[in-house]
Parts: sequence; structure tokens; C-alpha cells
Amino acid sequence: MAEYFSQFMPFMVTGVKTTIILFVITLVLSLPLGLPIALGERSRFKPLSWICKFYVWVFRGTPLMLQLFFFYFFFPFTLDITIPALPTACITFVLNYAAYFAEIYRGGINGIDRGQYEAAYVLGLSRGQTMKDIILPQTMKTILPPVVNEAITLVKDTALASSIGVIELMKATQSAVNRETDISIFFWAAAIYLIMCSVLTLAAGRIEKYFMRYDAKEEY
Amino acid sequence: MSQTILKMTDIVKDFGDLRVVKGVSLTVSKGETIAIIGPSGSGKSTLLRCINGLNKVTSGVIELNGETGMVFQHFNLFPHMTCLENITYAPIKVKGEDKEEARKKAMKLLEMVGLETKADVYPAHISGGQKQRVAIARALAMNPDLMLFDEPTSALDPEITGEVLNVMKKLAEEHTTMIVVTHEMGFAKEVADRVIFMNDGEIVEEGSPEDIFENPRSERLKAFLKSIIRS
Ligand SMILES: Nc1ncnc2c1ncn2[C@@H]1O[C@H](COP(=O)(O)OP(=O)(O)OP(=O)(O)O)[C@@H](O)[C@H]1O
Ligand SMILES: [Mg+2]
Repeated sequence: MAEYFSQFMPFMVTGVKTTIILFVITLVLSLPLGLPIALGERSRFKPLSWICKFYVWVFRGTPLMLQLFFFYFFFPFTLDITIPALPTACITFVLNYAAYFAEIYRGGINGIDRGQYEAAYVLGLSRGQTMKDIILPQTMKTILPPVVNEAITLVKDTALASSIGVIELMKATQSAVNRETDISIFFWAAAIYLIMCSVLTLAAGRIEKYFMRYDAKEEY
Repeated sequence: MSQTILKMTDIVKDFGDLRVVKGVSLTVSKGETIAIIGPSGSGKSTLLRCINGLNKVTSGVIELNGETGMVFQHFNLFPHMTCLENITYAPIKVKGEDKEEARKKAMKLLEMVGLETKADVYPAHISGGQKQRVAIARALAMNPDLMLFDEPTSALDPEITGEVLNVMKKLAEEHTTMIVVTHEMGFAKEVADRVIFMNDGEIVEEGSPEDIFENPRSERLKAFLKSIIRS
């Protein structure tokens, strides 16, 4: 048994690490980046709104794999710089996921009643204060479920990075299976993906509870 | 003659092709309580919302000496803040008031509206009448010179309108300057210094409650009062 693991585990662990790095970097950067894009889309300054809408349209409307290949060649071809595969994947994933998060945020903001803006206005709040302290906090509980959904999709989407040569969990698994001629390794990979998604779901449940605190309680 | 808080001259408001307010002039003195009555769609809310800029006037002049506060039909409390936070947020963030001072003042206001026990409760957990009383306290916390009420009891069950009207009555007795758009004729009759009847974007008649309710002159006011009694 120990021998069985030692054959492929080190390789898999490296793959998992890379997957987690790609996942965390993407999430940590694209979550905040989605917000200015969402606000830009809603801007009264039309050119800004057009640019942001165009951005979302392109990144949501084309395959992530195409975007990966594009950036993979873009840097060396146009800027004459070589960027390793993993950073290229991170950049692409961040830009792609920011577009999805922007759409979620925009939907959340649009769902807030106009009366909230009016109440803020008559109390003399600035537009910035209104957005930051009144509107955005209220969107949290509606955007959380779709955001978690995207995060779970992201866990699995990281596998796409293998297409430009990032040796993440999927690529590592594939190589291990090839070398060991043992397809049971696929189950170990599946288990690792499942654990990552489950951890996410559990964490999301906690966060959700926090944002539900001000809702009317169900009768017990 | 007491100080003029608001002077509106020839106010016109169009929504696209629709003229909703058709040249209204109105002067409000400090301490006055004014009730605006009139059929649905006559432009009462629009006129009120022109005063604080929620609607931009198409033409006309608004001279406002001081600041306004507003109470909405649907309360519009901030659901993610406790009742106390709803009241203290703007004084702290907009006026830069000291947090502790703001809290003390808010507690006094909550007491005034009879809700001191609800300070740390979220709006979702209190009744409509209580929400509206918190909303009144929230508006008062900014020390407005003129309070605007847009049908503050219309969204409430009839049996709990009284608790809100009583608070407003108390404010009127303390000479808070207020303009109240209302369907509560009892309130207008009892509390208002001056009643304004609007119809189809115009002020058709204005005067003391006796003038309006006992001696209506125009046919339109007579018809309106009759329709109110019937309903
Ligand atoms: N934002 C808007 N855009 C277009 N039309 C509007 C808008 N707000 C109000 N109106 C129209 O203006 C007219 C007057 O509306 P307003 O709300 O001022 O009447 P009201 O006297 O307050 O009526 P109610 O007693 O029903 O509240 C109505 O015909 C209404 O449909
Ligand atoms: Mg109205």
C-alpha cells in the first residue's frame, strides 16, 4: 500500500499545490476586480459603461480555453516577453472570473429597491456612501450563492490550465495514470476535487449565516 | 410674521409629455403643519419630491431655508442596520457627529416614538407601524427644518395607523414644520394648520381645516370629500 502511494503521490501533491495556487489567486483577485467592472457597467458615463459591458461580453462569451491560448501566445508574440504557464493561467483566470463576478454583482445591485437610494439621498449621503454602506452590504446575501457556485466551477475549471502546460492536479493525474498504467488514480484525483468543493460549500454556509442575521427569523 | 421655510413659485413638473404639476405656488412658514390632500394621481407626491430634489422641477423656483427630512410610505429603513444604526448612521457619516452623542440623541428619539426597547433590533423584526416610527426618528435625527411625509400611514393596517399619527401629532404640537401628504382626513382636520387640496396637478383650494372640510367652495373639492366619506 505504502509503495502504491509513493509511486504517484509526490507528483499528485505538486499538482494539488498548483491547483490550489491557481484557485486562490484567481478568487482573491477576481472577486474584488469584479466590483469596479460592475459599477462601471452601471456608470452614467457612457464610454466607461460601454467598455465594461464589452469586457464582460467578450470574457463571458468566449471559451476560457481560447482565452488561455490567446494569452499564452499574446505575451511572447506581441510584447516579446515570456511568461511561464502558471502566471499566464492566473492572469487569464482572473480576467475571466472577474467578468462573471461583475455580472453577479450587477444583478445583486439591480435587485435593491429604489427606495433605499431615495432614503439615502434624503439623508444626504453621497453616492459613494450610498453604494458602500447601504447598497452593497444588502447585496451580500443575494450574491453569495451564485458566487459560491462560481467558486466551485473554478475548482474544476483549473483543470483547463493543463491545456497550456500547467502541471496542476488534472495534468499530474493524467501523467501518473500513463506512467503507472493504473486508472484507480483517477479516483484519488476525483476525491481531491470533491474535498476542495466540500470545504468551499461548508465555508459558504458559515458566511451565508452571517449575512442572514438581519432577516426575519422563521418561526421555530 | 414668522420666518419662511419654503417658498415655491410656479412649479411645473413634466414626466416626458405628461405634465404632472402645473404651476403650483406654495409658501410654508416655520412651525406650520400643512396637509396636502387630493385624489390619486393628482401630483401630491411629485410636488413633495420636488422640494427635496428627488424629482427635478421642469420650471419654477424653490427657495428653501434649511434642510428637509422625509418619511416615505414604505419606510425604506436600511434592513441591514439595527433601528439604532438606522438613526445614527447619517448624523455620524454625513454630519460628522460624535458617535456617542449620536447614540444618545437616537435613544432619545426612540423614546419619543416609544421604541427605546427596539434599539438593537433589525427592522425585519418589528411591525409596520414600528418601522414607520423608526423612520420618523431617523429623519428627525438630522435636525431638519422641514419634515416631508408622503402618505406615512397608507401602507399600514388601519388599526395601527394611530400609533404613527400620534407621533406626528406630537411633532406638530412641538411646532415642527411639516408637510404631510395624506389620505387621513381625520389627521388633516385635527392637526393641520392649513389644508391644501390638489387636483390634476394644481392647487384647487387651500385654507384652514374648517374652510376645506366644512365650507368647500369648488365642485371638485366637494366631489372629492364626498368620495372620501363614501369609501
Ligand atoms: N417617475 C415617474 N415617471 C413617469 N410618471 C410619473 C412618475 N412619477 C409619477 N408619475 C405620474 O405622475 C402622476 C402623479 O403622480 P403622483 O405620484 O405625484 O400622484 P399622487 O397625487 O401622489 O397620487 P397617490 O395618491 O396615488 O400617491 C401620475 O399620473 C403618475 O403616474
Ligand atoms: Mg403619492
